[in-house]
Amino acid sequence: MNDPQHTVKLSVQGVAKTFQLPGGDQIVAVTDTTFDVMDNEFCILLGPSGCGKSTVLRMIAGLEETSGGTMKLGDHEIRGADRERGMVFQSYTSFDWLTVQQNVEYGMKLNRVPKAERRERANEFINLVKLSKFKDAYPKQLSGGMKQRVAIARTLANSPSLLLMDEPFGALDAETRWNMQELMVSIVESTETTVVMVTHDIEEALFLGDRIVFFSSHPGTVLENVLPAFKNGERILKKEDALTLPGYADMERHIMRLMREQGTDHTDEL
Amino acid sequence: MSPTSSATSNPSTRRWRWFDYKKTIPTPVVITLGVSVWVLFFGLWELSSALGWVTELLVPGPQKVAVALYTLITERGFLGDIGVSVYRILVSFIAACAVAVPLGILMGSFKSVEAFFNPFVSAWRYLPAPSFIPILLMWFGTGDAPKLVLLFIGVVWFLTTIVMDHTKNVRTELIETALTLGGNRKQILLTVMIPAVLPDVMVAMRQMLAMSWTYLVIAEIVASTNGIGAMMMRAKRFLHTDEILAGIFVIGVLGLVFDFMFKLAHQKLFPYLEAHGR
Repeated sequence: MNDPQHTVKLSVQGVAKTFQLPGGDQIVAVTDTTFDVMDNEFCILLGPSGCGKSTVLRMIAGLEETSGGTMKLGDHEIRGADRERGMVFQSYTSFDWLTVQQNVEYGMKLNRVPKAERRERANEFINLVKLSKFKDAYPKQLSGGMKQRVAIARTLANSPSLLLMDEPFGALDAETRWNMQELMVSIVESTETTVVMVTHDIEEALFLGDRIVFFSSHPGTVLENVLPAFKNGERILKKEDALTLPGYADMERHIMRLMREQGTDHTDEL
Repeated sequence: MSPTSSATSNPSTRRWRWFDYKKTIPTPVVITLGVSVWVLFFGLWELSSALGWVTELLVPGPQKVAVALYTLITERGFLGDIGVSVYRILVSFIAACAVAVPLGILMGSFKSVEAFFNPFVSAWRYLPAPSFIPILLMWFGTGDAPKLVLLFIGVVWFLTTIVMDHTKNVRTELIETALTLGGNRKQILLTVMIPAVLPDVMVAMRQMLAMSWTYLVIAEIVASTNGIGAMMMRAKRFLHTDEILAGIFVIGVLGLVFDFMFKLAHQKLFPYLEAHGR
């Protein structure tokens, strides 16, 4: 059990979230949600829209309070937001007033990392996301995909034990999106980061996920833990290579069916 | 295919038209148009007083106003009046900003600060500043103090509210990003809220400075022995319309100069806003 692949990094136990509406009504967004994420695992939270997967991610980040259950990172309980769990959002969060270099150094500066070390680590991660030529550019000069790469570099340079991503590529065009997905695979391979990422894109989930936690909707809870067996425990580096693997199509069909079953009922609520 | 449309393949020789929605026109044309509106204005003014369309006493021509301005400056110490007015604007405006900007940022950042100050600030906003002139005169006499206070209360409440609103518009994701990078409340205020809102604050200050000039003239016309407004009231007593118009002209020029300085400062302080790319 000392194999790092089998050490539990994040443990979510019976977590729930109930929102109180102004009228006094309650909405149960997430109920009794339980799953584990292993060390150096790329975990995808997948499900139809409104299933509470983003709420679960925000609770892991400590940006949202839980209404019940426990969450543990390693052996300590999660309480509030801190640098242990860095988050990349769907909307662009580069600080406009800082250059790419300063953006990537930002987290380390907050945490009082000495200047020389800060510089060195920032360069390392700017190289990793292939933005070296744009070190001194301001975010306004960058494309959407480049801004997301700044956000990823900034979060990773701050050495979190968990990288959280909330539909990070949702606003990007198709080509940029799969470039970013392939970049993520190479980053996770080289940095051994543990990632929890929310998406509603099934292809993205199958390509990136070492584990796919599928959520049901109304209320949101874990319906199925999908381990993509077709990968044989190896990460795929190029997106097109996944398509021809035996078992890929079956798994995609299985998840699409789940999505359809879970997603249809909300037309009735309109 | 008309001959002009075949030439459009080369952008430098592309013909422009007077009325194309949102299309840019050549810079020399922009400058010529901008100058001609003023030439037209002064031409009509000169013409109407030269041809006697208007009473010379009430509407002196531009040349007379220019001469009056020259005489005011060289013989009547008008520069002193201008200095007094500029001094009043600067002192009161800096004081108002020193209160409004930090207060507005705190109110926009923290609901508790907003809940405490906002009922007070918004009530004051609805009290017209000039209505305080009589009581300010009784409290502070006729020196600089009542003018400074008037200008201060004319700006501070509005500026506070605008800064608060801009601060509220700082995107939550920026704050949450800083939180998940390990930022504490003080760090987020200093490294996210303030830099994010500063460009908007500068724009608001630029607009409020124009308001400050309005109150200054009111204060100096109603109760002052010096300053640009006071000079204009003196001129009115002696039917010196050319001097009144010279005063208005000087206020306009000063307003433009201040506005330009703000614009310049904005460009210098926030170069990242000018940056363009993809």
